Amino acid sequence: MDEQERASAAPSELPESMRRRLFIVIAAYNESGAIAEVVRELRTGYPNVVVVDDGSTDDTWQHAQAAGAIVLRHLVNRGQGAALQTGITYALTAGAEVIATFDADGQHSPDDLPALVRPIFASEVDICLGSRFLGQVSAMPLHRRWMLHGAVAFTRLTSGLRLSDTHNGLRAFSRRAAQHFDIQLDRMAHASELIDQVRSSALPYREIPVHIRYTRYSLAKGQRSSAALRVALEYLIGRLLR
Amino acid sequence: MSVFQYLALTVLLLLSISTLRAGIRGRVRRRIVAFWLLVWITTGVFAAWPHGTLIVARAVGIGRGTDLVLYSFVFVVLIGFFYIYSRFRRVERDLTRLVRELAVRDPILPKPAAPDRTREAQD
Repeated sequence: MDEQERASAAPSELPESMRRRLFIVIAAYNESGAIAEVVRELRTGYPNVVVVDDGSTDDTWQHAQAAGAIVLRHLVNRGQGAALQTGITYALTAGAEVIATFDADGQHSPDDLPALVRPIFASEVDICLGSRFLGQVSAMPLHRRWMLHGAVAFTRLTSGLRLSDTHNGLRAFSRRAAQHFDIQLDRMAHASELIDQVRSSALPYREIPVHIRYTRYSLAKGQRSSAALRVALEYLIGRLLR
Repeated sequence: MSVFQYLALTVLLLLSISTLRAGIRGRVRRRIVAFWLLVWITTGVFAAWPHGTLIVARAVGIGRGTDLVLYSFVFVVLIGFFYIYSRFRRVERDLTRLVRELAVRDPILPKPAAPDRTREAQD
């Protein structure tokens, strides 16, 4: 957040009727430092911003609500995968036609949303996955790059999908795709699980280049490289015991 | 019989009685009662007649009776671990479902002008 001045959410790029049918889901855990600005920025262009407060111990949900988000509160922390599924479930009941997931730490840019959701509104595909490796990356540390490439190789091995970026929180789904998803793995392993479900749904998908801003805040909040092995193990055990 | 055998058999008898009582009162499922009774009785037989372990061990191709006991113990513990782990995962999944249901049922709508501080207690 401290880095650059953000552009507006470029609402003019997407017709009003589409923006009303789009729900943006954000999973947040102890994000009081960034959530208000992220929500405020999104709300300038998009009416339906849903923040799932995943049992935060700080005042994340008050900040999100004050900034204009619909807030869903997990009474206890259940992990990012669980929080996203909660937001998706809510968006479906609220009548969403397209659902986008967005990170709470300010690393995503609202400017990427129109390109991400337009192919879905146009019925070209059902799933759009943001890829930082197709887009422009600001200041990605080398160890983070290696970890993400490792995750891509791992997903290629386990799911067979050839994607350039598997652990990107910026994604969009049609209503049909969202109804198909059922994220069971509560913690970070959900990213690989989601890719599995994309494959098993057999719905058309596309990767869209997106811009990731690596700020000091988002790096501090992000996954440590050392956690990668634990996440991989969690995913494999989850697959075995399904 | 040695003092150890008397002690072991007394403890196993008490355990069997309490397992049976739990089963009769319906506090524990029948399958579980049968499993534990089998464990207590087998242990009792081998405590009273240690030579039996050697015969069984030889029959299944293990050298010593104590090795048979050790292997069986490890095997049972591993099964127990797997059972508890899958139970734990189920409970975790149910908890997530419960938390989700509560969150979706009671959405907090935006109030940009004045945050609603009466709805929830502050941390």
